[in-house]
Amino acid sequence: MSAADDAGNNELLQFSVANDLREIAVAADRIDEFCSANGIPPATAYAINLSVDELLTNTISYGYEDGGEHRIDLMIRLDGDVLAVEISDDGIEFAPDSADDPDTNASIEDRPIGGLGIFLTRKMMDSFDYRRDEGRNIVTLTKKTGIASQENQ
Amino acid sequence: MESETLNLQTKREDDVLSARVGGRIDGSNAARFEEMLRSAIEESDRAVIMDFEQLLYISSAGLRAVLITAKSLWKQGTTFVLCSLSDQLTGVFASSGFDRMVKIRGSRSEALDSLDE
Repeated sequence: MSAADDAGNNELLQFSVANDLREIAVAADRIDEFCSANGIPPATAYAINLSVDELLTNTISYGYEDGGEHRIDLMIRLDGDVLAVEISDDGIEFAPDSADDPDTNASIEDRPIGGLGIFLTRKMMDSFDYRRDEGRNIVTLTKKTGIASQENQ
Repeated sequence: MESETLNLQTKREDDVLSARVGGRIDGSNAARFEEMLRSAIEESDRAVIMDFEQLLYISSAGLRAVLITAKSLWKQGTTFVLCSLSDQLTGVFASSGFDRMVKIRGSRSEALDSLDE
């Protein structure tokens, strides 16, 4: 049991989804439920939903070369004022740092299509960590929920 | 809470196509969204107003469909205006730089007014 569990002051949501893009809406429902049950502001809930969506979309679209069925594990933990998200899959290794940021000042004519998913995730979350561990991709994201500042208003 | 499915309602008045988008757009239905827009838009349209008042959620896959549509409208010389974005959607459009590429207005009537600018 971890120190956080001992403190007894956290909320945890764990579930897994299949590698099917339709599962994104299922994950969104679980996350929305968790966020509203814990008083997490809509802006934070949106950021979590978007990040999970972008990572699931990448893994489901590009992570598997065998055409088989896979499970992707999700864990969302609220610890005080910080929400942590962990997404773990057995897809091919990926390099989230490899792509250049899109040119957000480009004109409509010149703006290339795509390259926004990981970029938006980094923008919306406070931290983004990737590691490859025993054949699994593990992405950990954190974000301050804004619950405290909301209560002070 | 159940996720709302994607829906699109369009109507055309004086060569201005108004498209009301509702529900959520993610990686599972963005291609369908793009296809729905493509079949609704005519080359003779003077302007397309996309009303996001009922849109709860958009991901980068949805933004991609908006960009593809915006590029094709730009090529055919049709004005493109988005309106009625929620605070969350406004944030996504700002973060991605889309607010600098596409005209965005607070309401449908402001979007209509902007066509004469």
